[in-house]
Amino acid sequence: MIITKKALPRRTFLKGMGVTAALPFLDAMVPALTAMAAGKSVDRLVFTFIPMGAVMAKWTPPGEGKLSALSPILDSLLPFRDQLTILTNLELAKAYGSTGADHATSNSTFLSCAPAKVTEGSDYYLATTADQIAAKQLGKDTRLPSLELGTDLIAQVGHCDDGLACAYQNNLSWSSPTTPLPTEADPRTVFERLFGEGGTAGQRSADARRNRSILDAVTKDIARLKLQVDRADQVQVSHYFDTVREVERRIQKAEAEAAESPEAPDRPSSILPALWGDHVKLMFDLQVLAFQADVTRVITFQLARETSARTYPEIGVPDAHHPTSHHRDRPEQLEKLAKINTYHMSLYAYFLEKLRATPDGDGSLLDHGIYMLGSGMGNPDVHDHRNLPALVAGGGNGKLKGGRHIRYSERTPMANLHLTLLDKVGVKLDSFGDSAGKIPELMEPISL
Amino acid sequence: MGNRWLALAGVLLTFLAAAGGPLANGRAQQPGGGSTVPASEHQKVFERYCVGCHNDQLKTAGLSLSSMDVARVGERAEVWEKVAFKLRARFMPPSGRPRPDEATYEALIAYLETSLDRAAAAAPNPGRTDGLQRLNRTEYQNAIRDLLGLDVDVTSLLPKDDANHGFDNVSLPGLSTTLLERYISAAQKISRLAVGSPVRFPGAAVVVVPPDRTQEDHVEGLPFGTRGGTVFPYNFPRDGEYDIQLRLARDRNEQIEGFYEAHQVELNLDGVQLQVFTVEPEGETRTLQDGDGHRFDDALHVRIPVKAGPHEIGAGFLKKPSTLLETERQPHQAHFNKDRSPRPQLALYSVAIAGPFDQVGVGETQSRQRIFVCRPAKASNEDPCARTILTRLARRAYRRPVTEMDLQMPMRFYKEERAEGGFEAGIEAGLQSILVNPEFLFRVGKSPANVAPNTAYRISDLDLASRLSFFMWSSIPDDELLDVASRGKLHDPAVLERQVKRMLADARSDALVENFAGQWLHLRNLDTQVPDPRLFMDFDDNLRQAFRRETELFFKSVVKEDRSVLELLTANYTFLNERLAKHYGIPNVYGSRFRRVTLDASSVRGGLLGQGSILTVTSYGNRTSPVFRGKWILENILGSPPPPPPPNVPALAEPAAGGKVLSMRERMAQHRTNPVCASCHNLMDPIGLSAETFDAIGRWRTRGDDGLPIDAAGSLPDGTKYEGVAGLRQAVLKHPEAFVRTVTQKLLTYGLGRGLEYYDAPAVRGIVRNARTHEYRFSSLIVDIVNSTPFQMRRSQ
Repeated sequence: MIITKKALPRRTFLKGMGVTAALPFLDAMVPALTAMAAGKSVDRLVFTFIPMGAVMAKWTPPGEGKLSALSPILDSLLPFRDQLTILTNLELAKAYGSTGADHATSNSTFLSCAPAKVTEGSDYYLATTADQIAAKQLGKDTRLPSLELGTDLIAQVGHCDDGLACAYQNNLSWSSPTTPLPTEADPRTVFERLFGEGGTAGQRSADARRNRSILDAVTKDIARLKLQVDRADQVQVSHYFDTVREVERRIQKAEAEAAESPEAPDRPSSILPALWGDHVKLMFDLQVLAFQADVTRVITFQLARETSARTYPEIGVPDAHHPTSHHRDRPEQLEKLAKINTYHMSLYAYFLEKLRATPDGDGSLLDHGIYMLGSGMGNPDVHDHRNLPALVAGGGNGKLKGGRHIRYSERTPMANLHLTLLDKVGVKLDSFGDSAGKIPELMEPISL
Repeated sequence: MGNRWLALAGVLLTFLAAAGGPLANGRAQQPGGGSTVPASEHQKVFERYCVGCHNDQLKTAGLSLSSMDVARVGERAEVWEKVAFKLRARFMPPSGRPRPDEATYEALIAYLETSLDRAAAAAPNPGRTDGLQRLNRTEYQNAIRDLLGLDVDVTSLLPKDDANHGFDNVSLPGLSTTLLERYISAAQKISRLAVGSPVRFPGAAVVVVPPDRTQEDHVEGLPFGTRGGTVFPYNFPRDGEYDIQLRLARDRNEQIEGFYEAHQVELNLDGVQLQVFTVEPEGETRTLQDGDGHRFDDALHVRIPVKAGPHEIGAGFLKKPSTLLETERQPHQAHFNKDRSPRPQLALYSVAIAGPFDQVGVGETQSRQRIFVCRPAKASNEDPCARTILTRLARRAYRRPVTEMDLQMPMRFYKEERAEGGFEAGIEAGLQSILVNPEFLFRVGKSPANVAPNTAYRISDLDLASRLSFFMWSSIPDDELLDVASRGKLHDPAVLERQVKRMLADARSDALVENFAGQWLHLRNLDTQVPDPRLFMDFDDNLRQAFRRETELFFKSVVKEDRSVLELLTANYTFLNERLAKHYGIPNVYGSRFRRVTLDASSVRGGLLGQGSILTVTSYGNRTSPVFRGKWILENILGSPPPPPPPNVPALAEPAAGGKVLSMRERMAQHRTNPVCASCHNLMDPIGLSAETFDAIGRWRTRGDDGLPIDAAGSLPDGTKYEGVAGLRQAVLKHPEAFVRTVTQKLLTYGLGRGLEYYDAPAVRGIVRNARTHEYRFSSLIVDIVNSTPFQMRRSQ
């Protein structure tokens, strides 16, 4: 439901509320945006996190090398097989901690490959995550260095693992070892972060100007504040100057963009689709939109939270995800979990299809970006962090070759994958987390 | 306490002598009476029962107590507090090991606690709240309400806060780029709305009725004679024309649900009827709809002039004289799901408001009245008036008297903007700069310059005022509190108590219900609780909201009527409407309105442990969870959270299925055959199992999901055996201090905005001791918390 200054046919809207989840406001703005992303093929990176592992027997495709058949869970990705690499036997060794807070660490190590400092207080300490390392490079030229999305609107209390601060279980992205970045689940809020409040070019420039002088004021206020706190707290206040500078950069960028594009797209209302699946699709749509408008080039998406108790009656699984994941190898439990996994992957297929259908320069967004999906657990029943679900889709501007199943005989750090992906988007590091090398196969054409 | 005190905290003494500090006269702080048993006896008990495992050789659980001397507890208070806790909770010695008898247990605990309290009184350690405590989302929203008379939905403006130590005002992260951006944009929106600046283009809001809400009955707040629909407040930014558009609920096939005959929909503004629409199906009802039937919605539209400010919008269906409710699903009351419990009549999906179109003017709102305390008649009056307005706003926002320095920035913004857009635009800009000032967004704690490092000092009256208002109101202090604090009177115990009582009586103390109790009792999690609709056909959003309402009204009654906190467990009354009363099987409660209902002596519903809210948030969507419930009760009622699970808990082996159906109790018993699991599950499971007579949505039952009769025998960690929730209640009340201590700990954590540490334990014990002499009245807990060392003092850096 939206009421826009451009009247959209209601029919479109009502359809949007149903199974198709076509989002009129998104469709309506595409022409304007295509112009904005004028034919550049830049590097883009998306990490999608699925919670609580998968039924690996039904996830893992047969054989290795050339990817021919897929698997029951991955079946919906078949149309993208040639741009798809499945990696089997990856591990997050740092997720094994001393507290048994495996759900928290499944989330926190996924992009950090680093141990979480044991604390329930605000002195948490992790590492800068792979997406944020990428964002520091890829984000230089965009207004938002990165976007952190989720689907859980309400922060739960008392439902985080014992022994570790909730920050570990809620936040995938950390811009520094002490700075978790909260996820945003409200589509309208995401939209406003991407495009501001809208208005004419003149109004938006005026907004940006006002915001800049507000920032000047904040800088001065923080300088005063620094004099008013204890020495121990001055370090923290000093960090705020960096925060202000970063926001200032974004505002300058917004100013420039306001000058370039005559009109911002219409806003969605804050209405949430009744079905969770439609909410997920909407979040995927916004990711495509963010790339189209080149507002950001790095996105992290937590499809659902660890220990999510979401039920899936719409696919015939009325049981909560978390208890279902403790399947104890019972066939009927495994089947239910596999159904949830399969459903999640069908939503991901929707994303890939949308990326493929969206032109970008001489190809599509799928051709030019790198899209990684995975989980921090293998077998959720025993909370292990080996043999993880992991895949990479997309062409990476010609830097990725798909159609392959890389099956390691030895457990291999997931950090190797992150290191390789960072390499592909131009961030050259010697090591990352507990990495032990790169994954050259991602690059090599397959010859069988 | 004189001599030792002087030596340990010299600087403090001057404070205390001058001010009658919390330790000098705080009635909560006096340790209990002495013990006649000599320390050597206690040492023997300690060595016999504790040091056998926790010694230098074995170091069980990484702890050696070999060198510990009960005569000198002050030296290692942190370890001794842990020992006292483990003993008090009866976690140690572990069951199966030799344990002292109850009298010996109690004597040793009393000795340790008394000694610890004495040591603490001699060298108080108030702990250190964070130097920068950021306002969380709720506090920000309330601060805006109290500062500007403006209700904003802050969930759309700021990101959610993580909860630490059970509360989302504890240990919040600082200022990230995301947050700063959001604060800037929130300040812009709020200042525009508050001043009533012209709206750039029409905004829109859509209020969606939760899809699982049944719309067959009257909705509180809508006119009598209506059923279903919704009512909500909305802030209209300017005087002008607004569109209001209703939409009807669809089933999953996109067909209008329950559309079998004509219905009338009434639209209200502030309780006054705007229009009655009639929607009527054409021809064959079940097949009439082409596609989405949007033409029916199209008719449900008005464009009306509305004055700026908050208004209440309501829409509901006129009740039919004789409603033909489907009977096939009786006695179920939930009707929202096409396949299982279909809607028999039309229902509302959403109300959309768009506008303003044709802005007429700024209008006169409560916010404007509050902001514009002066209105300059001529240009030369404008600057002095702006100064008056911004001084007032800054004082409330920064929670202290403002200086010339403080005004420089807001006045600069005012002047710049006034030059371009006029006086009111200038005020808007000045306000915007106040709302992004870190002194608004953070509570700042600084050690006074004249206090030695690592020394306890009394916080200033102004800081105390903020602590008080954020504790009791989750908001900024009001003018009266600021006045008292500015005059340096607030630390006077009589003045302080008067302020506390005044604040408790104020409506803003509802924050203790929604914010404190909502988190302590996990009521906030109700919204994400979706019981399996196949198993719980009668669960709908109406019931979910009724659950929450019951517990909130109940907790509020204890606060407002200043009852004993023990009544939270034992009360013989609760608050019900018809929906909830039917769910509980309590007769003679009719209508949507909640009212106090006195329960029969035999009722299973008295107190929190019989309330649907608690029983539901501690269950899974498709079954009860004795583990959740046991853990929840240990944590939130008994204050003895079980230790976290050991690392890498092994998978439980599937028992050989002999064809016999196992009851929940038997299945749990099998889990406990693994000793690694048993150590904690032995504590949690027996408590959770004793609540099995309530199902996953809080209905009373005598047979479990498995169809087997329920055995509700339970036991506490101290070995007390009891039967069912009624028995649990009685067992807890035998030692009411455990529950009072838990409430105190939760309140103190929330009030301080930091996790409690070992050095807070003496203060907590003092508060509990004193509360006993005041029949554990809620206000006595609050007054004593406010008077306690950790609340009134802070340790310098």
